[in-house]
Amino acid sequence: MRLMRKGAITCGEETSVRDVAQIMVVNSTRYCVVINQGHEVLGIISARSILNAFGRDLDQVRAKDILAPYTFTITPNTPLKEAIHLMDKRKIEHLIVVSDRPGSKAILGLLHVEDIIDKMAQD
Amino acid sequence: MIRVYDLMDRDIIFCYPDDSVTDVVLMMKANQFRPVIVVHEAGEVWGLVSRLALIRFYGEDLDRIRAEEVMRPYRFEIDPQWPIETAIDLMQRTRFEHLIIVDPHAGPRRPIGILSSFDIVRYMSGIESGHFEQILKMPPEWTLPS
Repeated sequence: MRLMRKGAITCGEETSVRDVAQIMVVNSTRYCVVINQGHEVLGIISARSILNAFGRDLDQVRAKDILAPYTFTITPNTPLKEAIHLMDKRKIEHLIVVSDRPGSKAILGLLHVEDIIDKMAQD
Repeated sequence: MIRVYDLMDRDIIFCYPDDSVTDVVLMMKANQFRPVIVVHEAGEVWGLVSRLALIRFYGEDLDRIRAEEVMRPYRFEIDPQWPIETAIDLMQRTRFEHLIIVDPHAGPRRPIGILSSFDIVRYMSGIESGHFEQILKMPPEWTLPS
């Protein structure tokens, strides 16, 4: 998957939602990957997840309370059409790319909806 | 009280229903991948082309597909004077990432802005719009000595 971007914006599971929102704004991004102390990926927080927390005490609610679990992932070998289908079906704009080695949970990067539109503009 | 007008993005980009998806893709790319509002020739809003709606057509002949076929039809009239809580409630219920804002005094269904989930995140973060851009524009003498 040549379109994926290596690395990701991350936060800890105990990070407050206010801080997660600030991380997103400072980095001009609409997602944040949540990791635990062992640097394992727990899930992803989108702008939608933050919006859904509106009305709660953002300094008390933690990242782990609102994350979307680490469920929808792709590997570098996933066909792009399949990744697009997953994004469309689940209404998510970012997919976590993990290694396709058995048992590996290492995060390699993310595939963003912008990267696909960029490719469509080039084709 | 914070109103929709205070947080919405006034810098909207738009296309016409007959524009090709190729044009929409290029337009979106040139504008930081922001969604494109579809307007009628008279300037009335018809719908919105989102990023996710666009990628469904990956691999197809984009020159032969029109914006009207890709757009989500305009459904909710959002007044810029609404309290922001009302707009957030609507976004939570509908799962829409973007709301088109129309000015009831500017003519029928004339779009004047767009409110995105990221605008709400910025509001919830407590960081004002343009804060970092202002820091970058500070004159050199304002920078801290090393």
